[in-house]
Amino acid sequence: MTLVIDDVRRIVATTLQLGARGGSMSSATPLLGAIPELDSMAVVSLITALEEQFEISVEDDEIGAETFETLGSLAAFVEQKMAN
Amino acid sequence: MADRHGQLEPFYLSVEPGARFCLLHLPPSGVALRGGILYVHPFAEEMNKARRMAAAQARRFAQTGYAVLQMDLLGCGDSGGELRDATVSGWCRDLQVAADWMLGRGYGPLRVWGLRFGALVASHWVSTYGNDIDGLVLWQPVASGDTHLTQFLRISVAGDMLASGTAGGGAGALRKRLAAGETLEVAGYEINSTLASEMNALRLADIPPSGLAVDWFEVVPEAGSVAPASARVVEQWQHAGMRVRYEVVTGEPFWTTVEIVDCPALLEATTRASSEGWKQDTASRA
Repeated sequence: MTLVIDDVRRIVATTLQLGARGGSMSSATPLLGAIPELDSMAVVSLITALEEQFEISVEDDEIGAETFETLGSLAAFVEQKMAN
Repeated sequence: MADRHGQLEPFYLSVEPGARFCLLHLPPSGVALRGGILYVHPFAEEMNKARRMAAAQARRFAQTGYAVLQMDLLGCGDSGGELRDATVSGWCRDLQVAADWMLGRGYGPLRVWGLRFGALVASHWVSTYGNDIDGLVLWQPVASGDTHLTQFLRISVAGDMLASGTAGGGAGALRKRLAAGETLEVAGYEINSTLASEMNALRLADIPPSGLAVDWFEVVPEAGSVAPASARVVEQWQHAGMRVRYEVVTGEPFWTTVEIVDCPALLEATTRASSEGWKQDTASRA
């Protein structure tokens, strides 16, 4: 069974086309402000990909900087959505 | 300008207000004309991301004997007019002029090929104009205009988050402004309240294109996965007696990736269907 963080890392890497940079991301890797590819359209693509892959529904008020701060915070958010 | 596969003719087609930019791909000399295909492009930025793939598929269709018309709808691409004046009903009028032009030039029987939101608009338009259309080719169709609009408005929400760390009022607040008749600008695209309400009302499940052959293609990141929303609509359509051929290929979501990418498996599957499956379909209609 794969860990959520591994799936989230893969989705972030493929959505943003990070190539080799994707594989070296840990849960502490910062996302917002640290990855130039992560502009507003990429954030939406990323949310859409996460919604489709994990069959979750993200609310607008959940689109906050703390969710997208690091790979770990994004994975924790997905885990919490899946538990609900 | 001629490309090495056949002829490519850029021209403007007059549709009030103004003119629409069109590209016509014709089969190379020596290849018999089998029919026409009218392309309906996606909404906003997805149209630009997908331009390369659309051109690649149009060339392949032309090589196998189809005349392909790519029209930039009102306010999109290289066409006249402003997006802030565009409506779904206006785009349907554009398509009607394009279809009449194709049929008038003898490029029938005519199929409509739509990508993403273009596939939804194509289905909606064909449901009212269906008599002159022989089939639909859907690439990764958007199942719900409402959801599509929400995702589009989220670009603005995400922009607020990047600027200030919070999402502001979210897509809900933007929808309220649209409903009140405002025109909103999102990521450089202006959408008016009529377009928004027309988008909200479009659902693929509601518009089975009666009597038409449908070739439906989905791109998934890994082999074996299926988009559940699409599978449901395909089932509904088949249940309603539609002839729906559904094929899933593996590749990248080229209509949304940061960098422009190709999806060779989709080109191969679509070209194969056009040169094999459609032949049988035409034969069975004869």
